[in-house]
This record gives sequence, C-alpha cells and structure tokens, in this order.
Amino acid sequence: MSENSGSITRRDFTKGVAVGTMAGAIGAMGVYSYSPMRKQHFAKAAPPKVNIGEVKSVKVTNISETSWFDNKKLMGDIKGAGGLLVNQYTYNWPPFAQVKGKLGKGSYEEGVRNIKQFLPGKLEDAWAFQMENAVNPLNAGGFSALIEVETLEGEVKRILLDSGWSYDWMDKAFKREGIDKLLAGGKIDYFVISHEHFDHMWAIPVTFKYAPTVRTLYPKGFYPEGLDYIKVAGHRGELIETTPGLYKLFPGAALYNFQTPIICRVFGEQSLFFNVKDKGLVTVTGCCHQGILQFASTAQRAVETKKLYGIYGGLHVSPFDEWDPKYDDLVAVFKSWGFEKVGCNHCTGILTAKKLIEAGVGVVKGTARNGTKDPAYLGNGDTILFAMNDVATTPGVAGPAAGSATAAPAPAATAPAGGGVKY
Amino acid sequence: MTTATEERYGVGYLEERRLSPRWPAPVAHLVNLALLLAMFYATWWIFQDPRGVMRLYTPYVGYMYTRWLLIILIWMAYIFQFWPMRRAQLETWHPLLKAAIAVPVAVAIMWVVIHGFFQGFLGKMGIAYFDPSRTSTLPSMTAFFAEEYAALAILMFAALASWLAPAWVIGMERAPWQHEKQPVQGLTILIVTFFLAVVLYFVTMHPHMGILYYPWQYFTALAPPYWESFAGTVSGNFHVAWIMCATVVVWLVETIWQRYPFRLIERPWLRRFTTFFGIVAIAWAFHLFLYFAQELFLGEAIRGTRNDNAPDWRWLHVGEMMIFFLLPALYLNFYCGNWPTKFSVPVNLLVRTVIVGVAGVALMVLYYNISHLVLGTQRGISQPEQFPMIPTIWLINIMLVHHWYMDNWPAWRKAVPVSAPAPATRRPSMLGQPAGSAAD
Repeated sequence: MSENSGSITRRDFTKGVAVGTMAGAIGAMGVYSYSPMRKQHFAKAAPPKVNIGEVKSVKVTNISETSWFDNKKLMGDIKGAGGLLVNQYTYNWPPFAQVKGKLGKGSYEEGVRNIKQFLPGKLEDAWAFQMENAVNPLNAGGFSALIEVETLEGEVKRILLDSGWSYDWMDKAFKREGIDKLLAGGKIDYFVISHEHFDHMWAIPVTFKYAPTVRTLYPKGFYPEGLDYIKVAGHRGELIETTPGLYKLFPGAALYNFQTPIICRVFGEQSLFFNVKDKGLVTVTGCCHQGILQFASTAQRAVETKKLYGIYGGLHVSPFDEWDPKYDDLVAVFKSWGFEKVGCNHCTGILTAKKLIEAGVGVVKGTARNGTKDPAYLGNGDTILFAMNDVATTPGVAGPAAGSATAAPAPAATAPAGGGVKY
Repeated sequence: MTTATEERYGVGYLEERRLSPRWPAPVAHLVNLALLLAMFYATWWIFQDPRGVMRLYTPYVGYMYTRWLLIILIWMAYIFQFWPMRRAQLETWHPLLKAAIAVPVAVAIMWVVIHGFFQGFLGKMGIAYFDPSRTSTLPSMTAFFAEEYAALAILMFAALASWLAPAWVIGMERAPWQHEKQPVQGLTILIVTFFLAVVLYFVTMHPHMGILYYPWQYFTALAPPYWESFAGTVSGNFHVAWIMCATVVVWLVETIWQRYPFRLIERPWLRRFTTFFGIVAIAWAFHLFLYFAQELFLGEAIRGTRNDNAPDWRWLHVGEMMIFFLLPALYLNFYCGNWPTKFSVPVNLLVRTVIVGVAGVALMVLYYNISHLVLGTQRGISQPEQFPMIPTIWLINIMLVHHWYMDNWPAWRKAVPVSAPAPATRRPSMLGQPAGSAAD
C-alpha cells in the first residue's frame, strides 16, 4: 500500500497478504454459495414412502366457498382492528361479539359467554344476538365441503371438511346440500377441521347440532380459545388432535398436518389427500396456508402414488384479491407440476384463477350460483369428481370435466388476456 | 474551537465526547439494558404491537415508519452532524432535553416525507401506487392493501437510503464535500445519496411494484423482472436481501471492524471507492451465503411454494438474519467501548466478530421463541407478515437516540462536557469514541 518508494516492507507485504486472503475468502464464500457445487452438501437420502392404499373415486361437493361476501368490508375490519396479525377472537366478529361489540376490542371469553347457553341447539337465538351486537354479521359466510370417497371395495366414506363461519349461512347451506340429514343420520364418518380460522371453524355448532358425536379431527396448534370452543359448541364424541406429518384415515385416504403460521393468530393446518387408482394423488384443502405446491410435493414424497392428479379447495393465494409477485411464482410453475384437474375456489382468489387460466392451466369452471360471484372457479353447490375411470385431460386443453355433475373446465387461454402473466 | 463566527455544530462531537460509566460496569450495563428495553417495550406497545394501542404493525405501515425514523435519525446526527443544534447546546443541554427536541423533529420530518412528499406529491403527481387513496379506488383493491403496497414502496426508499447515506460517509468519507460547512455538506450528501436511492429503487423495487397490479404494468415496469432466473423468483425480496446486508455491513465496517481492512489503503480515492464497493461486495457474499445456509438447513427452495420453502421468503429471511447481527455490534460499540481493545487489531476485530456472530445467532433463537408472546407477532419463523426487522430496527432507533443525543444517559455521563479544540484532520466517523476504549 505504500506509495512513497518502489520497495515493499515486510509489514506492508504481510498486510497485503492478509487482506488479500480475507477478501478472497469472503469472495469465495459468496461465489461458492451460489455455484452448482453447493448442491453436493444437500441431503440426498429421501425418506421411505408410505403405501396408503388406493380408492376408486373422490367426489367433492362444495357446500360453501364464500367465506365472506364483501372483501372491502372484511379488509376494512382487519385494517381497523390493526392488521393481519391481530388475534381473530378480538375482532368482535360473530359469533364472539360482546354487547355492542367494538372492532378489535373483544375477547373470546366475553364473546362466548353470550352464546354458550344457546349452543348447539338454539343457533337462531345465538345468531340473533350477533345480528344486534357483532361487527358486520351479515358479511360472514363460511367454507365447507363434503368429500365422498368410494373405496376399492365399493364402500362410500364421507368426510365433512370444515363448518364455515355464520351459523345462519351455514345452516342454510347444509340444508341446501342435504348435509344436515347426512349428519343426523350418522352418515358422516369424519369431521375434519382444517384450521382454526373464523371462516372454517366458527360455525362448528351447526355441525354438532346435527351430529354431536361425530368423530372430529383438528390439527395440533390450536389456541386455548379454539379448543374450548369445540367443547362449548356441543361436541361429545371422539376428538383427535393430529400431530405434524402424515395421518392415515382409511385405505387410500390420509391427512397431512403442517405446522404453519397463519394470519389472525392461527397456527397449523391439515389437508387431505387421496390416492385414486390409475390416476394418482388428489389433494383436498381448506385454505392450504402451507401452499399447494408445498402440500403436493410433501404428499408426493411421503406416499407411494402414480403422479399428482387433482386438486380441490382453497389454494390460499389471493383471498382478499391482493397480489404479491411471489404469487406469480406459483402461476409461473403451476402447469409444470402436471395436475390434470384443478378445482379451486375460496381463498385461491378469482384473480389467481384467472391468471392460472391465462397461464394455460385447466381450471374447472363453476356455475356462479348460491352466492358465488364468478364462474372462474367452482362455486357453491358445484361438484367435482376424481375417479379411476376419468377421461384423461391434459392441462391447458379444454374438454369435458369427466364425471363432473355441474361443472366444466375453463377453456385454456392461448395467449395472455389483458396483458396478464406471460408464462 | 467554537467561536461566534465559526459554529461547528456537531462536527467531531461524537468523536471528542468522552463517556464514563456512572456506576461499576455490571450495574451500569444492567441499568442501561433495563432502561433501553423498558423504553422499547413501552413504545412498542403504544405504536406497534398488534395487541397494543395504535397497532401500526399491519405489518408494512409500522415497518415504513420504523425504517424512515432510522434514516432520518442518520440524516440528522450523521449527515447533518446535529445541525442546527449548536455545539454548546450539544455539550451542555441535558440529554433528556436534547432527545425531547430531536425525536419530535425526526417524527415531524418523517411525517412530511411520507405523507407530504411520497403520498401527497409523488403519489398525486407522478406514480399512483405511492398514494393509497388513489389505488384503493381500483377495482377489487381494498384500502388495506392499497396502504400496504404504498408503505412497501415508500419504506424501500428508506431501506436504500439507510445503506447509501452511511456508506457515503464511511466509504466515500463525505468526499468531495468533506470541507463544506453544515448544512451545505449535509444537504449535498442527502441529495446525492437520495438521488442514488431513487435510481436504485427504479431498478430494484419498481419492477416488483409493477407486477403487483393486474394486469402487469408492462408499459411502466419490466415484467417479469430481469432477476427472475437468477433469484428463482420475481419478488423484489431478492433485492431487499442484499440491500439489508449492505446496510448491516456498513455498520459492521464502521463499528466492530473500525473500517479495517479498507483503512490500510493510503491513496484517498482508491480507499474511498474500495471501501464503498467493498461493502457492497461483502454484502453480496453474505447475501448468497445466508441463502445457501438456509438451503443446508431447509433443503432447496421450491419455486411457487410458500413460506420457508419459497425462494422469495428465503431471500427476505437473508435480510432478517442479517439484522440480528447488527444489534450486538451496535451494543458492543455504543456501550462496551468496542470491547476488546487490548489485543492487536486483527485479534480485536476477530474477537468482536465472533462475539457478534454468537450473539446474533442467540438473539435469533430468542426472538423466534418468544416474540409471539412478548411482541404480539405470529408464532413460527416463516409467517409472511412476521418481520423481525421491525422490532430490531425499532430498538436500534432507540439506541441511536440514546447514544447520539442522550450520551448514554443515565448509566453514563460525559467526562468532558466542554468544548474541545478543533480536531486534527481525520477521517470522519459516524460514531463516538466508545466509553473506556483505547485507540487500537
């Protein structure tokens, strides 16, 4: 570094070597960290796959995917209460309203005290209190789906996935789809609560009104309020907390529990998957906060299956019609995962469905009735079937939704519409 | 020397200030830590906590205010060298009085910059996404996300500036304006670094903002962004990561590394450019290394997935990890006299680096285990709304006010509270000589 003579002192030389070595080491660290050579350090041994068996078919009836009716109103509440990390039980949303409840100033303890006496038999009375005291009670809807699985032996197993939010809305939806009778007749084998969110779980008294002893499974991660509410809501049957990882339900059907952090102070979600003979894996999700590709790749690594075949449920991409470039990452690669039948709705977001269609993914269209606003995806009352004798469809190719009772796949766009995603 | 005709404001004030602990070392540190954490928690509860009073942690709104307070404090104390506060005031006023003036001024400037300049002027006259009242009227756009998007864009200017502004002082040694008086020097450096921040914003975050809206804004932003194949994502988090690394490395170079090894270069302009771009090079090395470290722990990222398996989150987490190392580095410098100082320079630097590394990892573990209980954030490490940068920078802001304006009061006091003679020509430093330190 010396500039006053042509000679270099030993001290300067040592300094130079030291600095050069340090700079080289830091530079090499950076370069190596991005080079293909780094991959030799990654774990190569894959865990052994589990054989969960196979089923003949999976039919999903969308009881309700409209969790709320006015997005701006819901986000106005979230904004007013303090943002996405505020505890959902403090919103004074139904059914946990205090007397003249104020946004963001409530609590589970005070809220549940006002409805405890009515659950689960007198839901009209409990809801009447909400109509008078809760924040935006008419905006509450809910998510719920009926899954009917035909086993290889021809037996039909029924799973009720989630129970929605509004007592009033969900009771009507249950009656519309005949769920009330199935529950009352003991025809529902499993009641699966995907996660603790208001729009999936808060109307559990509607389920327990008809079937208080139904076998109920919830994922590890529930907060004390949610656990207490299951009891208060009237459940008296077998209650199973699923632990993180794989949980086999019956041959060909399983749950997977992800310990994923979720907005509004919720933790953990479980999703269903089925191995359809000759077709492959079908995923059925509530919100899929863990991410649909995360779920699919986890399931594919965990169980023996032919391929990824179908999807039903919320994919949790843009539930509030918001956007983030990371969602474009999903749109960009989704088609390459090879799903043949995609029945999405709910927190997938209409915008995401449209972008997926523009990207050439064969999203199954809906009929936009019973409160669903857009036919871009499966709506309330629509059904979708994933069966071993399905006529093969390829992603991005329009064709009949084999076995679908009320829905047809959306035609694949050949070019981006309106300057959307170009993948 | 302060004269009526030559007001020095805060030039050299931090370097000349000598602080001595009021009580024996453990007591002083315990009192200091207790006060810092009490102030942090009280203000966190009032302003940020999702269970608290104002609940600004939405998260982006709270993050925006936090980042802007940071850069404005840097501007005030470091770029403008406390101007217009006079030297006598700095030396004689009570620390509480100085803080009581500085903090409201910083908040007022922040308010004018965010709501006046960005939302009011830029948002209404040029780029719509800065103004939430405008974008919230778009079809399907909610007021909440209009505000979050605007906050993200605005905070990114602060993120860029909080790397560039200190880098100009540490790297470029305020050159070529180092001989200008305040406020000319401060104003010049502010304009130059803010200009660079604007340029870098347009090539780092503007394409991210351009694809936030549907359809992609092809006519105004690159879509998809140019970094897509390199980063494995179209998200601007790729840039957030290295900018955050650069912000932290600037301070590491200035504090625990005492500008080594760059200060060994004797030719001024060679040293300046080497320091400025050397900081960027080190930041990029950390940027790529910390991403690789996540791959080792979590496996390869899968594009299109969410949370800790997604490339966009991994890049963001690079920045999040880096900030945990800044806190112990600053504490070591502000309150521990840049300990140790008794060994040779390389050994001192190495020991400090190890301390900061270990303390940073310990802080990270502590944060992810207790933050949901203490700060009201979400449990788990990869919730997209979980931003450890918000509480850590919030605490850093408090430490900056405490160290720069409050002279580490009350656990420390100024040993020489009178005006010192004008310092000999020296390379400007952003930080005061730490308590009890000896020159290496």
